Amino acid sequence: MKQQSDGDTLRVSAIAELTAANANAFRDETRQAFGPEQRNIEVDLSQTMAVDSCGLGALVALHKTTAARGGVLRLLNPLPPVQQLLELTRMHRIFEVIKE
Amino acid sequence: MPEISGASRPAALRFALPCELNQVRQAAQTVHRFLMEQGCGEDILTACDLALVEACNNAIKYAPESARARSVGVEITCGAGQLEIRVTDHTLGFDWPERVELPAPESESGRGLFLIQSLMDSAQYLRGKGENILVLRKSRSSTGAKQESPPGAPMDNDRLITGLLDEVSSCYESLSAIFRYSTEQSKIKDLKKFARRLLTDLSAIVSAEWFVFRTVQNQTQIEVLAASESALDMGSIIYRGENSDSGFLEAEAAATRKTVLFDENRELAGADPLRLKPRSRGLVFPVFVGENFVGTLTLGKSAAPGGSTGRTFTASQTNVIATFAQFLAIQIVNARLQEELVANRIIARELEIAGSIQRSLLLKELPQLPGFELAALCRSAHQVGGDFYDILKPSEDTALLVIADVMGKGVLAAMFAAILRAVLRATPELNSQPAALLTRVNQLLFDELSGVDMFITAQLVFVDAKARKLVVGSAGHCPLLVADASGMKSLSPEGMPLGILPDTVFASETVELPVNCRVLLYTDGLTEAMDAAGERYGQDRLTDWFRKTQAQARPARDLQEELANKLAQFQLKTGLNDDQTFLIMTG
Repeated sequence: MKQQSDGDTLRVSAIAELTAANANAFRDETRQAFGPEQRNIEVDLSQTMAVDSCGLGALVALHKTTAARGGVLRLLNPLPPVQQLLELTRMHRIFEVIKE
Repeated sequence: MPEISGASRPAALRFALPCELNQVRQAAQTVHRFLMEQGCGEDILTACDLALVEACNNAIKYAPESARARSVGVEITCGAGQLEIRVTDHTLGFDWPERVELPAPESESGRGLFLIQSLMDSAQYLRGKGENILVLRKSRSSTGAKQESPPGAPMDNDRLITGLLDEVSSCYESLSAIFRYSTEQSKIKDLKKFARRLLTDLSAIVSAEWFVFRTVQNQTQIEVLAASESALDMGSIIYRGENSDSGFLEAEAAATRKTVLFDENRELAGADPLRLKPRSRGLVFPVFVGENFVGTLTLGKSAAPGGSTGRTFTASQTNVIATFAQFLAIQIVNARLQEELVANRIIARELEIAGSIQRSLLLKELPQLPGFELAALCRSAHQVGGDFYDILKPSEDTALLVIADVMGKGVLAAMFAAILRAVLRATPELNSQPAALLTRVNQLLFDELSGVDMFITAQLVFVDAKARKLVVGSAGHCPLLVADASGMKSLSPEGMPLGILPDTVFASETVELPVNCRVLLYTDGLTEAMDAAGERYGQDRLTDWFRKTQAQARPARDLQEELANKLAQFQLKTGLNDDQTFLIMTG
């Protein structure tokens, strides 16, 4: 997992999976890296092969973290199975999903 | 290592997943590869991946500390048309919600069950003791399923394993359901509701669409106790005897005590209730408890369009049906025994009431007659009988001795005894004429007695102490025995029991009573008394004893005690089986 600050946005990438096994660690590490001056989080899902309901829970937690600062959580380039999951759980309406 | 078997035919994959969250991904990949090898399309792979992961996550997250060392069981069976995922957990289990709803968007958890439900065609959570199984099924129809091997192909290992899995899981389902019902058994109030619920569950387990459960009534009919829909709740079917509904499937199963299988090609008799379910296939299953036939259970489902051949229920499903049916039958038998117990208690109470009526009729003190002595005994078999005796005193020097036996037992018999006693006492003008008195009593009581199919035998003996003679009238009662120095007479003046004919004519006889005479009035309980060998005390034994009492003058009370002892001795081992009443007069 890589973290990179870009102005008011924290970018997280190189995530192999977002599941019960690592969701809590992902959430906590991302929150730690989220600088006090930052408002938005971008999660690059282009390399994420698996997301489950716990992974979704972590994303919801981060969404709340950004919303508290008036920012947004953006999900970048989810793979088709992950996109399906987001749609199935209507999460694509909550998160900003960007396909580049 | 996971065992993967059979890449081209219906295949099974089974492995144990360590109880650790970081092992789930790898397990999902194993299953993914397996399903890909079976030719599952992308959609199915994605859905199964996620559903399996969610199921395994739950199995691991909620495992109690004590179960951490136990692995989670994962079994995948992939047939041509459908695949099934079974995840066995060792958690405390939970109630699968009737509707799984998506939680609020801001909720960080609670989407697992929703995902499983949405991605799979069916999800069933079977709870057991110490372990639970989540059964997920998904149809493969959208992805160009492979052909199943032709019928008749030899059963290979894969099929065998699949079969065994089926068998084990079916047993498991029925067992855990029975565990649940057993705990409820003590609170079954409504047998019909209970049966309906149990059979609704059974239908779900064996994939039946409808059911009818009939129980035996009167040894010849089977009546609906529970049915899946009210239209099927149609009256009774006679399975035995001349008017039997032969040809009806349920009657056939009841009469032959054999399972009857049917399918859409079976011609049903004109009025067979199962015609309500046309184009059905299924079975009628006779239900027993031990040797006793309890009823029939019919389960059915619609025949598949195109009419596939093969069995409607698999062998393991049939086993499950048998297990449930047996369980239900035992409950029914138990409930009926309970009802009988209550009925017996009511009867016992009734007899108790009747017994107290009867006791109230007996004289507390016997009136005496100048120059004569009287003694009497009335012993009741069980709580009550219809025997009673009475002694009326129309005047200082006369007495009317009464002995009667009302046929039947219980409150009604006791009531008639009370009525007879009252009528006799209310007719003092006829006390000295036994035949006329019996005629009057018969007229008064005939309608009431014949209305309830009862009758009374009675003997009236009018004694004139001054004139030393007696007049006897009898309504079908045992003979009157009179003994004196000249010998013994047995008197049975003509007369039918009271309540048989409205206009019976009663005769009477008059005999002299010399000094040192004895008179015995008794009921048939004496002569019918039986010993252990089944021999009756009989008229001869009684008359022999009575004849011998002449040897010396003895008070009536002595004779009464002696006869009572003789009778008690005779039936020492058998006990009293009928009322025994007698009246002795000496003088």
